[in-house]
Amino acid sequence: MRTNPVGTVTPRLGVDIGGLILKNPVMTASGTFGYGEEYAAYNDLNRLGAIIVKGLSLESRPGNPPPRIMETASGMLNAIGLENVGVRDFIREKLPFLRQFDLPVIANIFGETLDEYQKVAEILNRAKGVHALEVNISCPNVKKGGIAFGADPDMAAEVTRKVKGAVDLPVIVKLTPNVTDVAVIAESVEAAGANAVSLINTITGMSIDVERRVPHLKNVTGGLSGPAIKPIALRMVWQVARRVKVPVIGIGGIMNANDALEFLIAGARAIQIGTASFVNPRAVSDILDGLAAYLARHDISHINNLIGTLTGGEEC
Amino acid sequence: MGKSGSERMPCGEPYRSAVSCRVMENRRVAEGYFIMSLGLPAACDTPLPGQFVMLRAKGVQAPLLGRPLSVYAFKRGEKGATLEVLYKVAGTGTLLFSGLPDGGDVEVLGPLGGRFEISPGVKNVILVAGGVGVAPLSFLASHCRGDRADARPRITCYVGAGSADALVGLDRLEASCSDVRICTDDGSCGHHGLVTDLLEKDFNLLDSRDSVICACGPSAMLKRMAELLEKHTVACQISMEERMACGLGACLGCAVAVKAGDGGFRYRRVCKDGPIFDLRELIWER
Ligand SMILES: Cc1cc2nc3c(=O)[nH]c(=O)nc-3n(C[C@H](O)[C@H](O)[C@H](O)COP(=O)(O)OP(=O)(O)OC[C@H]3O[C@@H](n4cnc5c(N)ncnc54)[C@H](O)[C@@H]3O)c2cc1C
Ligand SMILES: Cc1cc2nc3c(=O)[nH]c(=O)nc-3n(C[C@H](O)[C@H](O)[C@H](O)COP(=O)(O)O)c2cc1C
Ligand code: FES
Repeated sequence: MRTNPVGTVTPRLGVDIGGLILKNPVMTASGTFGYGEEYAAYNDLNRLGAIIVKGLSLESRPGNPPPRIMETASGMLNAIGLENVGVRDFIREKLPFLRQFDLPVIANIFGETLDEYQKVAEILNRAKGVHALEVNISCPNVKKGGIAFGADPDMAAEVTRKVKGAVDLPVIVKLTPNVTDVAVIAESVEAAGANAVSLINTITGMSIDVERRVPHLKNVTGGLSGPAIKPIALRMVWQVARRVKVPVIGIGGIMNANDALEFLIAGARAIQIGTASFVNPRAVSDILDGLAAYLARHDISHINNLIGTLTGGEEC
Repeated sequence: MGKSGSERMPCGEPYRSAVSCRVMENRRVAEGYFIMSLGLPAACDTPLPGQFVMLRAKGVQAPLLGRPLSVYAFKRGEKGATLEVLYKVAGTGTLLFSGLPDGGDVEVLGPLGGRFEISPGVKNVILVAGGVGVAPLSFLASHCRGDRADARPRITCYVGAGSADALVGLDRLEASCSDVRICTDDGSCGHHGLVTDLLEKDFNLLDSRDSVICACGPSAMLKRMAELLEKHTVACQISMEERMACGLGACLGCAVAVKAGDGGFRYRRVCKDGPIFDLRELIWER
């Protein structure tokens, strides 16, 4: 079946992410696509499934001192330090640009306290042109000795409840891989009301300049992203997709359509493209084209018929 | 397509395409220094002095990210355009570039970033180049040469390098500048010592009202210049370097600290807010 009964844009790619309907499963990962403007010259933003903007906090944040990035084997470390313009300036200065497009905008949010998460969520809930929230729970909880909210099932659930209670938008909870069992956290935020989960955020790592015996990043440690993390991300997405009912969004080292397909087959309802946009500013568009071509080549009438269809293998 | 009217480069040009192109020539000009000429399609944008490109060898897995290189020369021809970069082998990425054969494929993103601004009234342009820092300054000098003869500023260039065999790009500088002054750390060519020492000696001859300094080089050189300039009023623009991932202003990876109004600081992106900054705006030690 190659005809399109509905007649809208690419219906064979449409997905439902916890109530948020996307015309295709290709989104941009937070922090890697700016606020959209930077990549608008390279991609028709109207074609994307959704844009997820750089993480927003209540007040603007300057970020970490440089150097902030370092390339490592098949990936990169970053310690940007969550630099951002703050939620109010985002609404005033960045959102109007995105409203011009037929493009769902997902605001990625973070905080250092439960209250901050709640306040940022409330402000965005009132903003015109925000379609969902993605809650970054990789941040340290300053009131609990700096352990990441996302490293503890109870704290992760608490953040989820706070944000859910503050908004009527769909809430995606973005999980950190820096935990013992990510599926436990996923179940916990699902029980707390998350409409979807996305994973993975970056994996903590470091790198040293041996000549000078100093860390390459001023912050010493940073988050690893890119192809190096893909096998880990894929394994985690597969594990989580089997344990929760809410949609799972796969992230981590997706560089091309083949990588994206692996995540979808493993059970991801949608995917996010991060570091790949740095390597090729048109990566999101290329991956979208590649997915459509794959479905046509395999005569798959709808992407939902592909999601979670992994067969074979025997776990010992 | 969205028009990003609010997001314009300092020079007023919108951002440009990523193109695959051919290496027309990749020539070793000194031990560890190369000039690569790239054949660009006719539809490409004309780079301005100070702008850079992100360069990647096509199809390779490593390195992953493009490497920023300043535009060294640009020329339009019958069928397309030629862009040149002058680079020093500094690590894995540039080592890979140095091995690219003529006819090899690369991906070019750019031109990116802002430009050196020489306002019409300027009579004296002083260029200060450390090592491979000659690349953007040589392009700037040739640009100034293109100005109307009566509006053309006098260009003096101070060039510093470790030794005589690391002095690159002198031929073009000599063609575009009124005066080229050379110094080497080991005294093997020109003045024996630092480029900033040479500059300091000539400083008092400078009339700061109709002069501008444009500099590019290692951070030690730029820091020394900042100290020198504390006692002077002459304007000074520098090209900054920082590690980059996107080159487009999106990742916030290339931050440098600049002075903020309240005596504090704020971070600016080298790729988008720079790479050209006012020397006096930067904070060197924090
Ligand atoms: C706007 C801009 C314009 C530049 N123009 C030129 C040019 O015209 N010619 C030229 O030879 N070089 C230029 N550079 C520097 C060049 O980008 C680096 O030398 C290059 O990225 C190093 O890559 P690599 O993989 O070879 O080295 P790596 O293995 O990554 O690093 C080797 C060494 O280079 C340093 N380095 C890495 N990245 C950068 C960087 N982005 N800037 C400065 N130092 C870096 C590292 O700290 C290390 O000491 C420019 C840099 C910027 C930001
Ligand atoms: C430079 C950079 C900045 C990032 N900023 C954020 C952020 O603000 N919020 C967030 O939730 N994730 C952030 N991330 C994580 C990415 O969204 C993504 O989860 C991660 O990079 C893995 O995907 P990738 O391998 O495709 O890049 C950032 C990643 C990078 C590389
Ligand atoms: S390199 Fe990404 S913001 Fe400058």
